[in-house]
Amino acid sequence: MARLNEDAQWIVLMGFVVSFSFFFLAMILNQSTVVGQTTAESVVEFPKNDIRDVRNIIINSSYITDNNKFAVIQQDITTLSLSRKGAVVSYSVTHPTGLDTYTHITIHYNNGVTEYNENWTSS
Amino acid sequence: MVNDEGQLYTIEGVAAGMIMLFTTYLVLGATSVYTPGDTHISDMQLEQIGTDALVMMNTPVNGTVKSNLTEIVETSRINATAADETFNTTFLKYVNERTGSESDNLHYMADVTYRSDLTDNSITSYQLACTHNRIMNAGDHPVRVTEWVIADKQFPGSVNHPRAVLVEVLLWRD
Amino acid sequence: MTDDAGNLSLDFLAGFTIFMVALIYVATLIPGLLIGLESKSIDYDAVAYRTGVILAEDPGMPYNPAWETYSDADKDKALRFGLALSKSTPNVLSAEKINRFFNTTTYNYPDDYHSRAVFGDYPYQFNISLKIDGGENYTLGDTLPDGYGYSRRLVKIKKESTASIDGSQIASYPEFWSHEPNAGNKTAGDPGPTNHSFSVYFNYTGLTTEGPLYNNPAYQIEPIAPLYEGATINLTNLNQTTRYGSGDTIIGDPNINITLTGITITQSVLSPYLHTRSSFATVPVTLDDHLYNVYIDGNATPLNSSASHSVINNVSLVIPHGSVTSGLNFLGGNDPSTYLNVTLLFTLDHGDCFLNSSQATAKDESGAFEYNYTSPFITQPSLKDGVLEVAVW
Repeated sequence: MARLNEDAQWIVLMGFVVSFSFFFLAMILNQSTVVGQTTAESVVEFPKNDIRDVRNIIINSSYITDNNKFAVIQQDITTLSLSRKGAVVSYSVTHPTGLDTYTHITIHYNNGVTEYNENWTSS
Repeated sequence: MVNDEGQLYTIEGVAAGMIMLFTTYLVLGATSVYTPGDTHISDMQLEQIGTDALVMMNTPVNGTVKSNLTEIVETSRINATAADETFNTTFLKYVNERTGSESDNLHYMADVTYRSDLTDNSITSYQLACTHNRIMNAGDHPVRVTEWVIADKQFPGSVNHPRAVLVEVLLWRD
Repeated sequence: MTDDAGNLSLDFLAGFTIFMVALIYVATLIPGLLIGLESKSIDYDAVAYRTGVILAEDPGMPYNPAWETYSDADKDKALRFGLALSKSTPNVLSAEKINRFFNTTTYNYPDDYHSRAVFGDYPYQFNISLKIDGGENYTLGDTLPDGYGYSRRLVKIKKESTASIDGSQIASYPEFWSHEPNAGNKTAGDPGPTNHSFSVYFNYTGLTTEGPLYNNPAYQIEPIAPLYEGATINLTNLNQTTRYGSGDTIIGDPNINITLTGITITQSVLSPYLHTRSSFATVPVTLDDHLYNVYIDGNATPLNSSASHSVINNVSLVIPHGSVTSGLNFLGGNDPSTYLNVTLLFTLDHGDCFLNSSQATAKDESGAFEYNYTSPFITQPSLKDGVLEVAVW
């Protein structure tokens, strides 16, 4: 059997290694252009201001002691949040009693992507 | 007839042609790379400014008074023009103010959305204010920012108050 | 003879196809390589946004003890800058933190700020500016180039509370006359004593639990850690505080000579220091500008000597922000159950009824005006508008 010609094996192998490394670097550098875009996208997508806002209004609404008025506001927030903000908001308020002088509020928020739960106590 | 002489010349010609085409493609490709989602950054900045402005308007100046935005929404149930004027002046001041001497050039359209029927939970909205003499046209690219307000005034569809309403603002840059 | 059939073998075709697909894919990546050389500029807006959030929405680290209370020698203990009053009050800034942050004699641009506010491996240049409505402009950093990343935040700055007590207002307390011993004979227009003490007292427990809107720090008077806010007490129109004329009219006496003879500041954790007229003594004015500053008649420089001082009309006592180093323990900022009593001692050249607050009706009859949320003499904390801009390049 004729001997296989093994000349230039190293050259070919090194050629392969270099071309694969070029390929890898080119891939990485090419993807770097989308870095800024993804950061901005994730900032817009996370509902930081929505959660803060709805949390504030829920805490403000806990000042209302008349149960009927409170129920109207609660339904307002839940309905408007679902239809205009695309988020499910539910909450319940426990007013101070004789034993426990703090107000407790349980808040639940879910806009389909981000979920937020909190037990808030007045200070 | 056909033989295998001239193979090297052929390959050389093909390679030269491919190099020329490749270089042309490189040069043309580098000038027109499309970075997807470029508008996300400016949208994010606009949204941040709009939200900040509404939050500032909804923060009372001290612990005993109502916030500006609450008073504007309550006034809008009685005197729509006065509410429009106040909101317009205050919001544009917040949103266009910069630390240097020149101001920014943003425009807006603001609505109040409320629950108009307590039994079937239908929603209605009315216009609160908009930039005077500047209606949004098709070329403008607005962002939407919102702020919750508890307004101690009666809204159509109920005899109850206070009510929770949503102030929605569309904001765009000229 | 050569074979001109021109067939290609199958394995050659397979190899060649794979090779061409790979080559074409790599070739399409190359334009991205070329524009990728400037990729750090994609970052600028994101870094500016992040710095804006860190400054406007975060109180900095450490929060307690506050990073702005460290002295210049300990400035490196501030790990991260942040201007917000607290975690629960984003976009509401503290004036103390603002002053400390923009103090470029303490912190060096750009290194100190880069490791504490801007972050990142690349040495960004930046410019941070803050404009306060009706107040100062602050700037930090280089001048802006043509292209930069940008973030703008709208903020509110907390303006602290002040007490302004007009001498003649003391007389309008309806119960005052009946509680004032030796008040003289009202109907006879009889003058009162010549030695007077005027006290203001702070109940730290009340201040931290009775604040408006569930003790929102933006509206709270908070002398304890970590905010260590100070207080300003202005006494005005002291020469209007004179005796009743005939009937119930108050007559002013511009010829009265008032001398400020002493200031005492007393701290207790057990009970309010009840100041009564019989227990004070004439004490020289001792001044330590870490603890408080006294301004007389609108002078811009505070008093710096211990002698008695004559006063025409106004006295201002300013208790500045507490700090980790001096003054803190004395003002009791570490203990939320502290009672603090500030008493100013005056001597008049003839009798006067109304400057003396020792028997003024206060919430718990402690004989001093209480510095709290309901007193009509106190301007409560309020918020001023401001704009914060961050540019990074």
